Amino acid sequence: MTDSPKKDHGVLYIGMDLGTSRTSVSASNGVRETVYSVVGYPKDVVSKKLLKKDVLFGKEAQEKRLSLKMYKPLEKGVLKYTGDAKMDAEAKQNLKAAQDLIGEAIRLAKPRQDELVYCVIGAPAEASVKNREAIIEAARSHVDSVMLCSEPFSVAYGLDWLEDVLVIDIGAGTTDLCRMHGTMPEEQDQVMFDIAGDAVDVELARLIEQDCPGAQFTIQMIKDIKERYGYVGDPAERCIVELPVDGKPTPFDLTTQIKTACSVLIDPILKGIHQLVSSFDPEFQTKLKNRVLLAGGGSMVKGLDSAVEKAMRERLGGGKVIRIEEPVYGGANGALKIAHDMPAEFWEQLK
Amino acid sequence: MTVADFKQTLKDTLRQMSYRTSLDSLKKKGVSQVSILGLDRIIALVDAAVHKSLRSRLHGVEREAVAGATKDEFVRLLRSNEDLQRQKSEVEQQKERAEDEIDQLRRELGNQQRELEVKLEQSALSVANRYQGENAAIAAKVADVMKALASQKGEQGLSLSLAEEKVMELVMDVITGERKAADEARRALQDREVDLLQRRIGKLNETLGHTERRLQEVAAMKNLDGGISSIYREVQGLGGEDDFVAKKKELMAEIFKANLALQKKRTQ
Repeated sequence: MTDSPKKDHGVLYIGMDLGTSRTSVSASNGVRETVYSVVGYPKDVVSKKLLKKDVLFGKEAQEKRLSLKMYKPLEKGVLKYTGDAKMDAEAKQNLKAAQDLIGEAIRLAKPRQDELVYCVIGAPAEASVKNREAIIEAARSHVDSVMLCSEPFSVAYGLDWLEDVLVIDIGAGTTDLCRMHGTMPEEQDQVMFDIAGDAVDVELARLIEQDCPGAQFTIQMIKDIKERYGYVGDPAERCIVELPVDGKPTPFDLTTQIKTACSVLIDPILKGIHQLVSSFDPEFQTKLKNRVLLAGGGSMVKGLDSAVEKAMRERLGGGKVIRIEEPVYGGANGALKIAHDMPAEFWEQLK
Repeated sequence: MTVADFKQTLKDTLRQMSYRTSLDSLKKKGVSQVSILGLDRIIALVDAAVHKSLRSRLHGVEREAVAGATKDEFVRLLRSNEDLQRQKSEVEQQKERAEDEIDQLRRELGNQQRELEVKLEQSALSVANRYQGENAAIAAKVADVMKALASQKGEQGLSLSLAEEKVMELVMDVITGERKAADEARRALQDREVDLLQRRIGKLNETLGHTERRLQEVAAMKNLDGGISSIYREVQGLGGEDDFVAKKKELMAEIFKANLALQKKRTQ
C-alpha cells in the first residue's frame, strides 16, 4: 500500500482466516471470499505465455496444475517456514507463496486505494514467533495495519461467547481446542493436534485403495468426496461414487469407508475436551462441557456434533455441542469483529 | 389670516367662480332686467351671517377663535377647489395629447400599408413583365422558325423532318437555358449541403479527438479504483452499548500488547 495516494475515503476492516486448506476473508464492505490455500507458478516460459499470469491461486491453480509448480504454503496449520537463515530454496519459495496468498486474500476483499485497510488475521494457536512474523511481514505490504490473534479465540469472539466456552476448530492440517474464560487464552488453555481434515483424506484414500481394487483417484478427488458425503453416525443416504477403473467410470459404494474415515476425528477431539475440562476450575467444568462450539471446515462432516455429544456422555458424563452456522467464515467473521472493536490508537501504533 | 385678507380672498374666488356674459346674450335669453349685487356687499353679507350665527351660540374669545378657524377652512376649501380644477385641466390636456399621438400612428400605419400595396403591385408587375419578355422571346423564336419554314416551303416545299428539326432546336434551346439555370440552382444547393456536411464532419472530428484524448487519459490513470467502499468512514472501536464492553476492552488491549511485542521483536 505504499503508492496509495491519500487515505481519506474511510476505513476497511478485513478479518482473515489463514488456513491450511482454505483462506477466507470477511470485510466491512460486505465482501466474503474464500480461496484454496494453494499457489501455482508457471513451470516455464511456455506455460507462462499460455497462462498469461505470473501466479495462480486456489481452484484456478488446481485446474491448471499440470502447467504449474504448486505450493501449499501452510502445513498442519503453520507456514512451512522456519525462520532459519540457512533455509533452502524450497523453503524460500514457500514463504513467497504464503506472502502471495495473503496478498491475494486481501485483494479478494476488494479494498479501495483511498481507504485505510486494517486487517486481523486469525493465526493458528500454535504458530511460532517466526511464523507469526512471516505472516505479518506478508500482510504489511498490502494493508496499513495488521494484527494477529488466535484462531479459536476469534471464532468465540465473533459469537460473543467469551466466558466458559470450549472452541473446537477443525481445520485441514490441525484441530485446535481452546477454552475461553473471559481473558485471553494462555498456553494451558489450548490443545492442538494434527488429526484433522487432511488426516481424514489420507484415511479415506487408504480405505478406497484397500476396498476398491483398480480405482484411480487423486487426493483432490478424495477431498471432493469427503466434502460431498462426509458423515459420522447413521447414514442419510448411500454414498455411491464413480471412480475411473482402467479409464472407465465405475460406481463404488463408499458409505462405510467414508464413515470410518471421518470417525478418526472423534477420539482425538474427546481426548482434547477431556484434557481441557479436567484441568478447568471444578465449579465451572459442567458449564464448560455444555458450551462446546464446533467450528472450521472439518465441522461440516454431517453428524459430527451429535457423535461428539454421544462420546462426551459416555466418557465425560454429558455435554452439549453446538456447530456454528458458518463453519467456513466463522474465523474470518470473528477476526473482522475484533478489527472493528480495536481502538483507533492501537491501530495507529502498529502502523 | 386677517379679516382684510379673508375679504380679499373671498373676492378673488367669487370672481373666478362667476362667468362673464354680454347684455345682448341676456336679452336673447329673454332677460330684460338684472339685479346687481356687488362683491363687497356679498362679502359683507357673508361676514355678517357668520358673525350673527356665532354670536347666537358662542361668547367672547371662543367666538373669535371659531370665526377665524371657519374662515381658514373656507379658504382652504376654495384653494382645494382651485387645485382640483387645475388637475382636471392637466388630465384633459394629457388625454388630448394621447389622442393626437394615436391619430399620428394611424396615419403612419395607413401610409405604410399603402407603400406595401404599391411595392407588391410593382413586384407583381415586374414578374409579369419578365414572364411577358420571356414569352415574347419564345414567341419571336417560334415566329423565326415559322418564317424559315415558310420561306423553305416556297422554294422546296415543307419538309416534315425539317419542321421537326427546327421545332426541336427551338425547344432544346429553351430547355437548355432552363436546365442551365436549374443546374446552377442545384449546384448552389449542393454547395450549401456540402458546406454544412463539412462543418458537421469538422465538429465530429473535434469531438472524436476530444474523446480519444480523454480515453488516453483514463487509460493512463494508474490509480483506477475497482474496490468496494467500506461501510465505515471512520475508525470504529467498541461502542458503549456493547454487552461486554469492559471485558472486551481488556481483551483488545491484550491482543494489542501481544502484537506490539511481536512488532518490536521483528524490528530488532
